[in-house]
Amino acid sequence: MLTDFGIILLFILAAFAFIGIVLFVARLLRPNRPNEEKNSTYESGEEPVGNANIQFNIRYYVVALVFVLFDVELVFLFPWATVFGQVRLINETNGSWGWFALTEAFLFVGILGLGLAYVWAKGYLDWVKPQPKIPRVDTNVPADLYQRVNDKYSHSKP
Amino acid sequence: MFPIVLLSVFGILLLFLGFLKSRAILLPAALLFLLVSLAVNFIDWNKTYLYFNGMLLSDNLSMVFTAIVLGSAFMVVALSGSFMEDESAQPAEYYGILLFSLVGALMMIGFENLIMLFVGVEILSVAMYVLTGSDKRNLRSNEAALKYFLMGAFTTGIMLFGMALLYGATGSFTLGGIRAYAVNPQVGLSLLFYVGLLMLLIGLLFKVSAAPFHFWTPDVYDGAPTLFTAFMSTVVKTAGFAALFRLLSISFSGVYTFWWTILAIITTLTLVAGNITAVYQNSFKRMMAYSSISHAGYLLIGLAALGQQTKQAIVFYSLAYSVATIAAFGVLLLVARQRNAETITSGGSSSESFDAFNGLARQNPLLGFAMAVSMLSLAGIPLTAGFWGKFYMFSTAVERGQIWLLVVAVLMSAVGIYYYFRVIIAMYFREGATAPIRVAPFYRYVLVVATLLTIGLGIAPGLLEGLF
Repeated sequence: MLTDFGIILLFILAAFAFIGIVLFVARLLRPNRPNEEKNSTYESGEEPVGNANIQFNIRYYVVALVFVLFDVELVFLFPWATVFGQVRLINETNGSWGWFALTEAFLFVGILGLGLAYVWAKGYLDWVKPQPKIPRVDTNVPADLYQRVNDKYSHSKP
Repeated sequence: MFPIVLLSVFGILLLFLGFLKSRAILLPAALLFLLVSLAVNFIDWNKTYLYFNGMLLSDNLSMVFTAIVLGSAFMVVALSGSFMEDESAQPAEYYGILLFSLVGALMMIGFENLIMLFVGVEILSVAMYVLTGSDKRNLRSNEAALKYFLMGAFTTGIMLFGMALLYGATGSFTLGGIRAYAVNPQVGLSLLFYVGLLMLLIGLLFKVSAAPFHFWTPDVYDGAPTLFTAFMSTVVKTAGFAALFRLLSISFSGVYTFWWTILAIITTLTLVAGNITAVYQNSFKRMMAYSSISHAGYLLIGLAALGQQTKQAIVFYSLAYSVATIAAFGVLLLVARQRNAETITSGGSSSESFDAFNGLARQNPLLGFAMAVSMLSLAGIPLTAGFWGKFYMFSTAVERGQIWLLVVAVLMSAVGIYYYFRVIIAMYFREGATAPIRVAPFYRYVLVVATLLTIGLGIAPGLLEGLF
């Protein structure tokens, strides 16, 4: 007699077996003609450049954190939506169920929104821009001198 | 229930108050919020309610624990005036996180469902990881936070695994459901149940720093900013023991014969490890860390000898311990700050060693007296609250007839007297060039109240009896 977990174990075993068999059969059937293009990494048509194991900019972590926050929020909102719209519950409670569920959802989203507002106001979302240093030369020669020299001494007619 | 809702709202409010130009409003606001939460806590007094679909219980015991936790938090926050002078500190965020962590502590106190316990433990722990590392430029603070986080996350995993196994064995997450299974098993208790119980216990014992799960405590307590050490060693410990008591007395009292030996061995280990190691410390803060381990041991006696008196003993002990610890850390904060200022000019010894207290009582009689009373209370000398706390604890062991546990505990409290008195001797009998330390009025009130509470409960321990 199989328990429910036994069925899951069978399912996993079957999945491994299926993949193994299919790959093995494909190996027997397919022609084997590798070339350099085929063996290179597929990067949506781009030429792969360098190694994938590089250090990411620290600025991405804040973005990733905020992203995960709202991703998880969405995960919670999907089951909420199915319960929120159940006609039976709404009819049984004379419609007050809908208002209750809606308020709860607004509280939940509202608190997360407050968090976003906090992060925003604190300036953690600002992308720290590198400030390029423009080289400057301290000289007494005025900038338009060269132009005037050119105008004065160039005799070539346009 | 009301404090949980209010504290959540107040925490968010405090975060946004941080946007104001002036920081002056933050401390009074945090104190006001804590007072309001403490007041609404007693709305349900003498009534028993289940809140949030049976997730949270509110009865007199949970309200008393809540009052202890909120009161300790109030005193700790009241000692936090130095944030206002520190440019790099973020007081709004610290207070916000403190209030959020209290929500977790209250969930641990009143949980009726293991899920709620887990959520509470996590809220409290994550907040503590952050606060431990809040001194961002201090290397030791960073190290402490990382250590605490890694080990804490690991034991949380063990605890969660234990809950899952318990669910597998009993088919229920509620305390009542687990109790029903343990008291009246259909075909005998399954192995999953025992393993689950042990793993759950390991997770909680780690949080209250009982040996052999105590190795994180000295480093974390030492590295964290002193104020948050005070918070950790009072609020987290009280909440942890409230949770342990609830769990063991409600769900697992049916299998007492299984876990009491394990708990008694852990108690002995904790008492010995905490007290003996504390003797060898040179830093006062590190000594307090080991002292908090040893007090976890005394509190565990009441659980290992679970009986009629345990409830009262744990409440009284955690109250006495919290008050004395906060007073001690409050004095340490002032002394360390003064010594730091002196070290810059003269280059003396560490600001948190025992030597820092040399000659303190001569110039600062109030600080010396507050520290002396709290040390006496922690050592368990009569006429202080700590004595009666130990008395109640030991009498639970007598009630159960666990004499050898009692013998170990009494021997170890004799050891404790040695290292607590080192501070008193340093303050009263050693010479030290101490200038009078300026104490802000509010700070002074907190120290005076803590000292009076310790002495008052020591003279009239019956004040709390019959409250719950």
